[in-house]
Amino acid sequence: MTSPSVARPRRQPRFSGLAWRRARWGYVFIAPWIIGFLAFTLLPMITTLIFTLTNVTLSQDDPLRFVGLDNWKAMFADQRTWDSLGVTFKFALLALPVGVCLPFVVALMLHSRHLKAPGAFRVLFFLPYVVPFVAGVFIWGGMLNSDSGWIDGLLKAIGVTHPPDWLEDPAWIYPGLVIMGIWGIGAGMIVYLAGLKGIPTDLYEAARIDGAGAFASLRHITVPMMSPVIFYTIVLGVVDVLQYFLVPLVLKNGTGDPGGSTNFFNLYIYQNFFTFQKMSYGATLAWLLFVITLVLTLLLFGAARRWVYYAGEAR
Amino acid sequence: MERRTGRLGALLAVVVLIAVACSSATPSTTPAASPSSAPSTSASADTGASASPAGSPDASSTPLPSAISAGSTGKPGDVEIRWYCCLGTGDAPEQVAVEKQVADAFNAANPGIHLSFQAYPYSGARDALAVQIGSGNGPDIVGPVGIGGANAFHNQWLDLQPLITKNNYDMSQYPKSTVSLYNVGGEGQVGIPFAIYPSVLFYKASLFKEAGLKEPPHTWNSTYTMPDGSTVPWDYDTIRKIGLLLTVDKNGKDATQAGFDPENIVQWGFEPQRDDLRQVGAYWKAGSFVGADGKVQIPDAWSAAWHYFYDGIWKDHMMVTGPQFLNTDFNPNGYPFFTGKVAMSENYLWSTYGVKDAGDDWNMAATPSYQGQTTAAFNADTFRILKATKHPDEAFKVLLYLLQNNDLIKLYGGMPAVPSKQDAFFKSLQADYKQTIDWNVAVQGVAFADVPNFESYVPAYNQTLNLINTFGTKWQATSGLDLDKEISDMKTQMQAIWDAGGN
Amino acid sequence: MADLPVMLPRAGARTWPFGRRRAALKVGEGSRPPRERGDRRRGFLLTLIAVVALAAFLSPMLRSFTYALKSTDQITQAGTPLWPADPVTFSYQGKDLPLLLVPIGGTTRTLALFEPGRQKSTFIDPNDPAAAPITWVGSWRTLQNVWTFAPHWENFAKVWDLINYPRLLFNTIMIAVIGTIGTLLSCTLVAYGFARFKFPGRGLLFTLLVATIFLPAAVTVIPTYTVFQKLGWVGTWLPLLVPTFFANAYDVFLMRQYFLTIPTEMDEAAAIDGAGPFRTLWSVLLPQSWPVVIAVALFHLVYSWNDFFGPLIYLSGHEDIQTIALGLQSFNGIHYRDPGLIQAGTLMTMIIPVLAFLLTQRFFTRGLVVTGVDK
Repeated sequence: MTSPSVARPRRQPRFSGLAWRRARWGYVFIAPWIIGFLAFTLLPMITTLIFTLTNVTLSQDDPLRFVGLDNWKAMFADQRTWDSLGVTFKFALLALPVGVCLPFVVALMLHSRHLKAPGAFRVLFFLPYVVPFVAGVFIWGGMLNSDSGWIDGLLKAIGVTHPPDWLEDPAWIYPGLVIMGIWGIGAGMIVYLAGLKGIPTDLYEAARIDGAGAFASLRHITVPMMSPVIFYTIVLGVVDVLQYFLVPLVLKNGTGDPGGSTNFFNLYIYQNFFTFQKMSYGATLAWLLFVITLVLTLLLFGAARRWVYYAGEAR
Repeated sequence: MERRTGRLGALLAVVVLIAVACSSATPSTTPAASPSSAPSTSASADTGASASPAGSPDASSTPLPSAISAGSTGKPGDVEIRWYCCLGTGDAPEQVAVEKQVADAFNAANPGIHLSFQAYPYSGARDALAVQIGSGNGPDIVGPVGIGGANAFHNQWLDLQPLITKNNYDMSQYPKSTVSLYNVGGEGQVGIPFAIYPSVLFYKASLFKEAGLKEPPHTWNSTYTMPDGSTVPWDYDTIRKIGLLLTVDKNGKDATQAGFDPENIVQWGFEPQRDDLRQVGAYWKAGSFVGADGKVQIPDAWSAAWHYFYDGIWKDHMMVTGPQFLNTDFNPNGYPFFTGKVAMSENYLWSTYGVKDAGDDWNMAATPSYQGQTTAAFNADTFRILKATKHPDEAFKVLLYLLQNNDLIKLYGGMPAVPSKQDAFFKSLQADYKQTIDWNVAVQGVAFADVPNFESYVPAYNQTLNLINTFGTKWQATSGLDLDKEISDMKTQMQAIWDAGGN
Repeated sequence: MADLPVMLPRAGARTWPFGRRRAALKVGEGSRPPRERGDRRRGFLLTLIAVVALAAFLSPMLRSFTYALKSTDQITQAGTPLWPADPVTFSYQGKDLPLLLVPIGGTTRTLALFEPGRQKSTFIDPNDPAAAPITWVGSWRTLQNVWTFAPHWENFAKVWDLINYPRLLFNTIMIAVIGTIGTLLSCTLVAYGFARFKFPGRGLLFTLLVATIFLPAAVTVIPTYTVFQKLGWVGTWLPLLVPTFFANAYDVFLMRQYFLTIPTEMDEAAAIDGAGPFRTLWSVLLPQSWPVVIAVALFHLVYSWNDFFGPLIYLSGHEDIQTIALGLQSFNGIHYRDPGLIQAGTLMTMIIPVLAFLLTQRFFTRGLVVTGVDK
C-alpha cells in the first residue's frame, strides 16, 4: 500500500548507505509514537474490531460467542444507521465550510497590518475557545432560546415578528448548532495565524512591486503558502464533523429532537455503547465510521497532491 | 504596545483571582477547608495516605505521591469495599462531605474492612459505571439508586436472599409492598428497602388566595369546594378547572378569560411530574407496557393521561411547554414549581431538596383521582450490591450499615422505609421551613403507591426508555399532533425493539 | 501573474537564512512597511468591522458574566433588568413585601404589595406603614417592580467554598503542564521524523497515525480503561499523563504540515556544516516554528483543562487528585443545579488558559521578515 500522504515513492530498489542512515534517524524520531501506539492504542482498537464479530453486551445475558458478520448485516439492515448517517452528512455540508473558512477569514483580519490593537483582538477572539464545553452549551442554549435569548430578542427588536426557533425547529437546528460551534474558532484561528506568520513578508513585497492587488496576493501567495495548513484543517474538520454528537447529546439529552434532526451517527454509536450497552453493535457502527472516514481522508490526501504546496518536502 | 496589553491583562487576571480568594467567606488561610474537614470521628490513620488531613496548610504539596502512585487506601490486608455513588442524588458538594464521614465512621468501627466512598458526578456516573463493569473492575456497592436507575444495569445485581437468610436479617420490619418492589424482573431479592418517596401535590397557598380559591384537600380520596360553593370530587377534571383559573398572563388575565395571551404566561396552573411518560400515566393509574402475552400494550389510563398532558400544554396552556421546561433561564432546577410560578405540582417527596425555592407558602395536598381511584406514582432508593463483587459478605455488612444510617436518609430527603423511623425524619425536615408543612399527607400517600411500579423492568429497558423519552420530548415541543397516531407509532416501534432483543 | 503560485514560494525559499546567530528575525511593528495614503481609512474600517464582529461573538460571554452575578430568582423571572439586580422589598409585619410602581391619583407612587388579588390589591405605603392599606383596582401583574443594582459576588465565594478550589486548580495545572510538556516533546520529534526523513513504510505509518483518530473515542474507552486498570494506574494521574509522552495524531499532523512549509535548503546547509539531526531540529526548524509550537501547547493546555471524561473515569472518587472540570460538575447535578454558580465557576476556571494565551499571543504577530545577512 502506498501512502496518499506523500508523493508516490519512486521505485527505488534499495536505499543507499546515506539514505539508510537518514531512514534510521526517521525511525528514531517517530519511535515515541510507535511505542505509544503499540502500548496504548493498538490493543483497544483490535479489541473493538473483535467486538464486531461477537455478541458482547454489558450484561451478557446470552453467552459470549462468535457471530460472524451478523452485526454487520444487522447494521446495514438498520434504518437508523442510514438515517443517522444522513443527519451527520447533512450537518457536515453546512458545518464544514463554516468551520474551515470562518477561522481563516478571522485570522486574515487579525493578521492584517491595517488592524489596530491586533493583540487585544487576538485574545478576545480566542477567549471563548477556553470556555468548557458544557458551559458553552449552557450559555448558547440561553442565547438561542426563543423566549429569553438575546438573538431572537434582537431580531424582534428590529421588527422580525417570528424569529427562528433555533433549537426547536428542524429547519433551524443546524444553523443553530453551527452558531454554537463558532465559539470553537479559536483553535482554527491560531492554526491559521501560525501559518500566516510563516509566510515571509518579502513575498508580498515582491507581489506589490509586480502590481498585485490584495485579492491577487491572497489568491496567489497566501492560499498556496497556507495550503498545508488549510489541508490540515479540512482533514481534521472532516474527522471531527463525522464524530459530532456531544453538543446535541447535552442539549437534547440524546432524544434526537427536534424531529430526529439531531440523531447524529456518532450519537447512535454512543447510545449503543453506553445507553443500550450493546458493545458489539456499537463497535460495528464505529468501525463503519472508521471505514467511511478512511475513504474520505484517502480521497482528500489524493486530491491534496494537486493543490497542496510543500516547500520543505523531504526528498 | 501589544506586549503591554498582554501584561496588563495578565495582571488584571491575577488581581481578580486574588480578589476572589479574599472575598471568600472562609478565612483564606485554610484554602483546603472543604466541608469534609468538619471534625469527623476518624480522621485517623485508618483513612490511609490519600486522605491527608484537610485544612493543613501544606495540603497542596501532598497530592503528588497519591496522584502518581496507585492510591493506597486502608491498611494492607483489609478487604476493600468500593461504594459507588451518584446515579441519582448524592453528588452535591455538601452531600459528599456527609457521605465521606459515614464511610470514615464505618471504617473506624470495623477493622478489617476498608470502605472507600467514590463520588461520580451525576452527569457522568452512568457511563463511568458502564466502563468499570465492562472492564471487570466494577465496584461492590452502588447507591443510592432508584428502581429505574438500577434497571439501566439489569442483570448486574446480586440476589441478596442468601445473605439475608445467612445473617437472619429481619425483613418483616418493612411493609410487604415495599419489599416486593425489589423482587421483580426475575433477578431475586436485589434490594432491601431504604428510602421511599411517595408522591403528593405540592401547591403554593398564596397563589390560591390571590385567585380567590380554596386550598386543595390534605386528605386522600377527598372532595374540593369550588368558588361557586359546589362540592366536586378531587380529580383531574377539577385540577383542570382550577388550573385554568391559576394560569395567568402578564396582563393578569387567567386562561378562562377572553383576551388571554398564551404567548406571555407568567404563572401556570399545574405541573405534572414529566421526567418520564410512564409516570405521567402512573399518576392516573398503575400500569405496565408489558401485556399478559408479553407483547407491548398501552394502558388505557396512560393514554388518557397523555392526552390530558398534551392538551394541558397546547390547548389549556396550564402547563409549561417542553422548550420552556428545558430553558435553563426559566427553569434552572428542572422543576418549574421551584420557580414559584406554578400553582400546583405533582411530585415526589424528594423534591424537598429544592422546593424551598418556591417560597414560604408551599404545602402538600393529596394527588387527584381518576375514575374514582387515586394513584400516586412512587419512587424508592436503596443501595445494591453488584453480582461481580469478590466480597459479598463484607459488602453486605456495609450495606446494612448504610441502610441503618440516619444521616444518609436525611441527606437524600427520603422517607425511611421503616415506619417507626418516619416521625423523627419529618421532624428533622420541618426544621428547614418557616411554614408548617402537613407531612402527614406524604405518610398517608404511601397507601396509594402505584403497583406495579412504573419503573419496573420491561424488555430492552434502556432502549425502551430512550424511545418513550423521544416521543415525550416531541409531544412537549410540538403542537397540533395527532396524539392517537403518535401513541400507536410508539407502540409499534417499542414492539420492534423488544423483538430485536437486548437490554 | 499566472505562474506566481509556482514562482513565488521558490523565490521566497532562497531567502531563508541558516543558523541562529546569523539570522536577523524581525517581528511585529518593525516589519510594517511605510504607511501609505488610504491606510488610515482602511485601518479604521477594518477595526470597526472587527469590533462589530467581536461584539456579536462575545455577547454570550457578557450574558454569562451577568449570570454569574445574578440571583437564581432574577434569572428565572421574565422581564427583569439585564444587569444583576434584586427586587426592592419592604419589611412589614415580619414579611418582605415587594415594592411596585403604582399609578394612583394621577401620579405614580412606590408602594409595597400587601395583598395581591385578581381585581384589586392592597398596598402599604412604606413611608407611612402605620396608615391603613391602600386599595388599588386593577391587575397588580401589570405593575413594574422596583429594582436595585445588586451584583451577587458571593457566587464566586460560594464556588470557592463548595469545592476545594485551590486543590483542584493545583491538580489541573499540574496535569495540564506536565501533559503539555509531554505533548510538545513527543509531537515535535515525531512530526520531525515524518516531515524530514524518508524511510520505508513512512506513508503507511503516517496513514496509520492519522487513522487512530477515526474511531470514535467512546468505543475504545472500555478496552483502554482495562489496559490502565491492569497496569494499576486507575486512581492516579498516569493514564492522563503518560500517553502525552507518546505523541498524538492531531498535533503531529499539524506540526508535520507546518514543518513541510519550511524549505529544506537550510537543513541541508546545516548538515553540510556538520549538524546532526537533533541539532538541525533545534537550531533550524524550531526557531522558525514557534507559532505552531505555541499553538500545539495551547491546544493541549485547553484540552487538558476542560477534559471531563478522562478525569471522570480515572480520577473520580479520589477527591485529592481531581481536576476542576470534574469539580464543577457537582453544580450541575440532577437534584442540584445553580446557574449562577455554574457561570461563576466557569469564569474562575477560564482564568489560567486565558492567561496562557495572553502571555503567548505575541508569537502570532504578523509575518516574519527574514533578512538573510549572508545569503
